[in-house]
Amino acid sequence: MNPIGTEPYIVLSMVLFLMGALGVLMRRNAILLFMSVELMLNSANLALVAFAREWGQVNGHVFVFFVMTVAAAEVAIGLALIVNIFRERQSINIDELRQMQG
Amino acid sequence: MEWLFLVVSFVAVLAAGMMLTRQNAVHSALFLIVNFGCVAFLYLMLDAPFLAMVQVTVYTGAIMVLFLFVIMLLGAEATSDTSGTMRWLGFAGTAVAIILLLIFAFPLASDMLADETIERPDTQARLRVINAIPGGEAEVFTVMESGFAMPLEGTVSSNVLLDAADESFEDLRLDDAVYQYARESIQAYVDLPAGDYTVIAGVGDGNYVSGPIYTETVNLAPDSGHSVVFFENSENLIDVVVVQDDVSAPSVGKMRLTVFNAVTDKQVSLVDVGQYTARRSLCENGSCSSLIPHSVLIERLPAGEKTSLELEEGSYNLAFVDQNQSVLRTLADYDAERGLIETRVLVREPGVPGSQPSYRAAVFNTIAIPAFGSPEAVGQVLFIDYVLPVMLVGVLLLVALIGVIVLARPDALAQAERRRINRRRRVNRPLVSVISQQTGADVLSGDYLAKLPGGSDDKAAE
Repeated sequence: MNPIGTEPYIVLSMVLFLMGALGVLMRRNAILLFMSVELMLNSANLALVAFAREWGQVNGHVFVFFVMTVAAAEVAIGLALIVNIFRERQSINIDELRQMQG
Repeated sequence: MEWLFLVVSFVAVLAAGMMLTRQNAVHSALFLIVNFGCVAFLYLMLDAPFLAMVQVTVYTGAIMVLFLFVIMLLGAEATSDTSGTMRWLGFAGTAVAIILLLIFAFPLASDMLADETIERPDTQARLRVINAIPGGEAEVFTVMESGFAMPLEGTVSSNVLLDAADESFEDLRLDDAVYQYARESIQAYVDLPAGDYTVIAGVGDGNYVSGPIYTETVNLAPDSGHSVVFFENSENLIDVVVVQDDVSAPSVGKMRLTVFNAVTDKQVSLVDVGQYTARRSLCENGSCSSLIPHSVLIERLPAGEKTSLELEEGSYNLAFVDQNQSVLRTLADYDAERGLIETRVLVREPGVPGSQPSYRAAVFNTIAIPAFGSPEAVGQVLFIDYVLPVMLVGVLLLVALIGVIVLARPDALAQAERRRINRRRRVNRPLVSVISQQTGADVLSGDYLAKLPGGSDDKAAE
């Protein structure tokens, strides 16, 4: 049996989530922003898998599976948007995308 | 194990930090791949091999290739990351991160300080009843308690279920007990929370127990299967044994055959008679007296015991023979299906006393319990309990596919630009005013109007 409990995994997941959140807030490159979001999704997945083992239920794995699917769809759409924005404005700095502000 | 976790998690955090701080987007993506690989390793340590493989193929494979592809396509490796207008976002980001840290750490720390051990729920164990009493008419009931009475079978009416749950173990009288019949030799497995159970078994008419009462405390371990087998012993009394069944998946390409001998005073052997076509018809009804066995699969199994063996996929001619080499029962053209778990209980058919006894090899199939986190386990939950979400996710992926196709049309932008230019050229004024503006002549008065096509109409409109 695995001697490591659930808590270390949760702490690691927390640290990774915070790093992802920091990346979203501080980086201005849209692609890096997306990568930080992926990091956050991954840390949430890690917590789900750790809890699935804690409770001996496979349902957590199923949720991770769904999160991965949604992440794949999100990345496909997001990167297509980024490509279009870059073609129009020659920049993917999200601070320069402000025309919605009026 | 602990040092492995520490090393892998350190690498994961380090890679995440490097990803955040690199100016070159390609370097960031490569560090993120390292991080995802570490997470996949942690999944393996968490008994989730299926998810670890999906993580590697989908995340570190497909998604990161997409990222790298877009970075290369845009040539956006080193776009400026500084912001002229939103300098304060850096401080705000740090502040929000600290607040999040406090929010997350608080329950964890309070939980660790409280030092409460979390009560883990019991995982499922399985129990079934096999009635191998000749005659098969005897009613058998089994009660299990672990603090409260637990009905054996899900088909027991909900009233009974509720009553059983309300009653504590101490209050439980035998005639109130939740009972279970096993008329038809076998009950399917019943899922129970794992734990210690007292199995009370006896023969009764549904309300009262007659005959010997059997009591045994059995530990039903998680993911295990047990059978309560009723059979007649050599003194023609009912005997009960609780045997543990091997419900794990058989070896690849094989099936597992478990034989339980419920025939009194016979030691049963299972033999593979090979292609005995000439004699098979003779032995079909069990009347042939002797056979030369090809190979002995099970040797001299005493009554009330069971044994298991694994058979390669294929067709067999099997025979149950007793210690005197006389055939009790033949299984001609027995198909061994891979992955199958089958239990054969050899019972004596009830017959007229004094006549030649005949025997039956009752068959019970079992579905193997897949290991935790294996593709089988995840697949079963995914396609049985979560069919609707799976379909919705499929629709979501379809929508995303269409969305990407729409977004990535090669000339979408060019078309939009052309449309905008066309719109700008469209003039919404009378032609005469345009001409007057461009020539400087006063075409709105005088006889210019009459010379222009449609000029009089314009004038009439004015």
